[in-house]
Amino acid sequence: MPLARSLSVTSLSGLEDWDEEFDREDAILFEIAWEVSNKVGGIYTVIQTKARLTCEEWGENYFLVGPYMESNVRTQVELIEPCNAALRRTIDKMNSSGCKVYFGRWLIEGSPYVILLDVGFTAWSLDRWKSELWEKCGIGVPWFDREANDAVLFGFLTAWLLGEYAAQCDDPPHIVAHFHEWLSGLGLVLCRQRQLPIATIFTTHATLLGRYLCAGSVDFYNNLAEFNVDKEAGDRQIYHRYCLERAAARCTHVFTTVSQITAIEAEHLLKRKPDFVTPNGLNVKKFSAMHEFQNLHAQSKARIQEFVRGHFYGHLDFNLDKTVFLFIAGRYEFSNKGADIFLEALARLNYLLRVNHSEVTVIAFFIMPARTNNFNVETLKGQAVRKQLWDTAQTVKERFGKKLYESLLVGQLPDVSKMLDKEDFTIMKRAIFATQRQCLPPVCTHNMLEDSSDPILNCIRRIGLFNTSQDRVKVIFHPEFLSSTSPLLPMDYEEFVRGCHLGVFPSYYEPWGYTPAECTVMGIPSISTNLSGFGCFMEEHIADPSAYGIYILDRRYRGVDESCNQLTSFLFQFCQQSRRQRIIQRNRTERLSDLLDWRYLGRYYISARHMALAKAFPDTFIYEPQEPTSATGFRYPRPASVPPSPAHSLHSSPHHSEGEDEEEQYDEDLEAEKDRVNIRQPLNVPNRNKNNAVVLPEKN
Amino acid sequence: MTEAQAFVTLATTDAYCMGCIVVGKSLRRHGTSKKLVVMVSPNVSRVGRLALDDVFDEVVVVDVLDSRDKAHLTWLGRPELGVTFTKLHCWTLTHFSKCVFLDADTLVLCNVDELFEYEELSAAPDPGWPDCFNSGVFVFRPSLNTHTQILEHAAQHGSFDGGDQGVLNTFFSDWAVKDIRKHLPFVYNLTASAVYTHLPAFQQYGHHAKIVHFLGGIKPWHHSYNPQAASESSFRDSSKNFAAQFMHLWWAEYYSQNQQQVKKDDKKEDYSVQQLESSQTHPTPTQSQMSRTEALHREMRLASPLQDLTLDSLTISSSKTSEEMLSDRLSCPSREIKSVQQLDSSQTHPTPTQSQMSSTEALHREMRLASPLQDLTLDSLTISSSKTSEEMLSDRLSCPSREIKNILFEVLSGGETEETPIVSPPSEQETEHKDPETADDSAAGIGKAIAAETEEEDSERRRMWEQGHVDYMGKDSFDNIKRKLDLFLE
Repeated sequence: MPLARSLSVTSLSGLEDWDEEFDREDAILFEIAWEVSNKVGGIYTVIQTKARLTCEEWGENYFLVGPYMESNVRTQVELIEPCNAALRRTIDKMNSSGCKVYFGRWLIEGSPYVILLDVGFTAWSLDRWKSELWEKCGIGVPWFDREANDAVLFGFLTAWLLGEYAAQCDDPPHIVAHFHEWLSGLGLVLCRQRQLPIATIFTTHATLLGRYLCAGSVDFYNNLAEFNVDKEAGDRQIYHRYCLERAAARCTHVFTTVSQITAIEAEHLLKRKPDFVTPNGLNVKKFSAMHEFQNLHAQSKARIQEFVRGHFYGHLDFNLDKTVFLFIAGRYEFSNKGADIFLEALARLNYLLRVNHSEVTVIAFFIMPARTNNFNVETLKGQAVRKQLWDTAQTVKERFGKKLYESLLVGQLPDVSKMLDKEDFTIMKRAIFATQRQCLPPVCTHNMLEDSSDPILNCIRRIGLFNTSQDRVKVIFHPEFLSSTSPLLPMDYEEFVRGCHLGVFPSYYEPWGYTPAECTVMGIPSISTNLSGFGCFMEEHIADPSAYGIYILDRRYRGVDESCNQLTSFLFQFCQQSRRQRIIQRNRTERLSDLLDWRYLGRYYISARHMALAKAFPDTFIYEPQEPTSATGFRYPRPASVPPSPAHSLHSSPHHSEGEDEEEQYDEDLEAEKDRVNIRQPLNVPNRNKNNAVVLPEKN
Repeated sequence: MTEAQAFVTLATTDAYCMGCIVVGKSLRRHGTSKKLVVMVSPNVSRVGRLALDDVFDEVVVVDVLDSRDKAHLTWLGRPELGVTFTKLHCWTLTHFSKCVFLDADTLVLCNVDELFEYEELSAAPDPGWPDCFNSGVFVFRPSLNTHTQILEHAAQHGSFDGGDQGVLNTFFSDWAVKDIRKHLPFVYNLTASAVYTHLPAFQQYGHHAKIVHFLGGIKPWHHSYNPQAASESSFRDSSKNFAAQFMHLWWAEYYSQNQQQVKKDDKKEDYSVQQLESSQTHPTPTQSQMSRTEALHREMRLASPLQDLTLDSLTISSSKTSEEMLSDRLSCPSREIKSVQQLDSSQTHPTPTQSQMSSTEALHREMRLASPLQDLTLDSLTISSSKTSEEMLSDRLSCPSREIKNILFEVLSGGETEETPIVSPPSEQETEHKDPETADDSAAGIGKAIAAETEEEDSERRRMWEQGHVDYMGKDSFDNIKRKLDLFLE
């Protein structure tokens, strides 16, 4: 599918002009999602991070529509009077007809306007609305599915809101309504059914059925075209939800998904080929100092090393400076997230490192929340022991320093043999004895509730990675989200990621994949798959992804065993890189962050909106899709110097000097400059409401 | 003295109206001498209120006092409980000296007027926590003073379960220990849910049950009701499934459509028809009872059968003149309803609007138009039948959704009907049984039968969706849904 660019009639063709300039003067944008100011899953992140850019683009004409949840409103939303007269009339009218509609500003970057609909308050209309839904669309909703019933209420309320707003405007504006996910999809269907003058866009971030099928360990991608979708959905008791989703996809003017892989999935499961792929972006934080992220990496790494020192006390027979930290993180879906093949690859890597007598040690962290009974004693004890050793060292140092000082005061050079007396040795010996340990360092940091049936633990038992001293690969399973207040590993997720060397996300089902994207903008290399949205996107935009620290595993056209071998070889390659090579690679990875910034990715949304307007109002807007070939114009090239892969770097000795080998030559600035040419400049939005975007005027 | 006492119940949604109707009817059936009062919240539709008006002496509209204590409510997982705070308003019914409150999800099995011998606050223990009373059935004395106190108490202490039961139990906190005379026997508030824990006790005392309470999230009106299956499985084989048995009783009561009043209807018929023809004002309660309950019922289930009605009448109009008259009359209002409803839905006004009111009026009129003709057919065609015409009439009235259809059947077929049980609606099997006879007679009969089938099928299909049993490989496949969507996508 082409990641098509859009061109208005007026703008010239050519790579430089993205069409940001179509006339938006009388257009209004509503973006509707269940997760507006209501965090449930990943869509919250998408909308929240995108808001700033969209606000700059649309200013006062941008409204997010979501459900009213009291607790969220109290913490995230500032309720104010509606900002324009038509909207005020709309809201007053609805409130006087038995609804509760709130208006405010969402206190996030960009502070967009939000319209919040109290779904519970109109629950009494449910029966009537369900009857209407049945009559108009032939879709029924079981009374016991709370979420689906909420979707019905939310759908009817949004359609009402949009219809009322269109009616309240004297000079009807061009309204674009952008709906996210099936939970809001019914609103779209109703807008179309009522023939409202609204351009509609529907974005699925994953398909309902895809998620269910993958969770049921079906050979999903090879059978994608063969599924009898009605039957599969019906058998899984999600037929009504699936119908709502598919009806929205059917009715919308423009249909988009977040990635190529989800586009294929949607084409087969929802039977409509998406018009656009609208990848998810991030708000990239730019540091003023050039290599600030490298410094942050060093700082965070030091803290992880501290933790490891405690965790492996009594077994610290490896060199921490030659230890590579890998991690996998996310929801605990053992096979969907690829924890299964990661563990298998680790076992193979362990073997490879041992037979090659490698000095490198690998520590793999699994950060996946499961049900636990808090930390286990052994893990906590490790940190306590470490602290005790530190305290002992401090005490001895103090005493040592005092003696040194006294000796200098009397004008004598200290007698080194007398600096440590017997008592000091006793303290130190006692401390060393305390570090003796009968058991191996624990694999899991917590007491698991379902220890005997836990898939990760069972897999580790099977492959035998028990953190013995012969093992070059050690495993630590942290079944809880990271928190800076944890007594064990007091870091938040971002700090932790910065301190690791490589993120490993070999997911089987991953519509987008924010985790590798987050790694990338922090300059941490990652492994993803060509079944994840992120992997597809990177593969398409970068000529040699692995040189940029984006390893893409082929899980689509290969069997599990082959994929496992590939993963093992990626890991082995990575382990063989020198420190310098890793630094170069991180620099390259970090340069990709421009590619993941909303300022760059937002343009797909812009095109989608333009196309929707052109379809709904053909007299006013014209949309000409660009030739697919132009999409290739912004690929990252192979990096100027040779990729830091071990195949090319025969001299991996640390004493090897830089100038000797031409292949190793690396000029960061030169390379960065080339990359900058190859990526388009971040979008410069014609900012219509600059003042509003910066200062928040109280409009009452 | 007796005048000043009443049974009070509460409807907060249209669905609960169904429950209230059953409470009211079951009380009436067992000959209560007390007044019947129902409190309704403002969101209950006009149709619902009218239906209640037929059964109850007083319909009191109460402003919803929503507890808004969302944290508690979500904890219970049943936010709909919040509105039962409206319940507390029952203390303001001060024109009664003493009242008995019955939840809308209760069913009275015999005369329970003796409850008025108890004092405030008498209630039965809650099956889940016997030191608390269950607030589904309780005796109280209306008093503005008490009312304010309870509200203040609620404002100060909140509710430990997020509903009224929590408030009342903390307010009347000495109920468990102070006076055993205020403990109602458990038979006055028997839990009907399937998991009744002490089965031997139930077998010993269960048949003494006087009031059944359908506790929990699943109410009788959530279940579909198939009288045939019910009478075969649970009614006869009654030792097995008490819950199903009570459920059956509930539906029987719901469909019973007050035989007592039907007889009154007979006498008053001419008068009331006249009155209704001339003025569109409030009809007398007894007359339009059926049509209103039916209107509510339809509203709850689905409005679409009306379309089929039009179809029915059109197919039949081709055959006979006397029928033509009927069908003309029928088709007009039903078309009207259809258009009105479309209008209504496109405006999406939640409050009952003028158009909605007229639609119910139209529905009423339609029903009424049918009734004189019905007598005619009965008189002329079913003389040979063994039943008295009165019985037949009540039969027919007990199932108004089929009423018109059945009459037409008789016109066509010469009116051979089987005896149907008084309290249950005719099942599909019965209709099918009749079909072959009629079909032989005329081609119109076939069209009629098909139309009837689609009407039935449609509401049945929706009911199946509601229960999560979708015919996704057949009629409900997405291709059919798509066809429906494409109608408005050009």
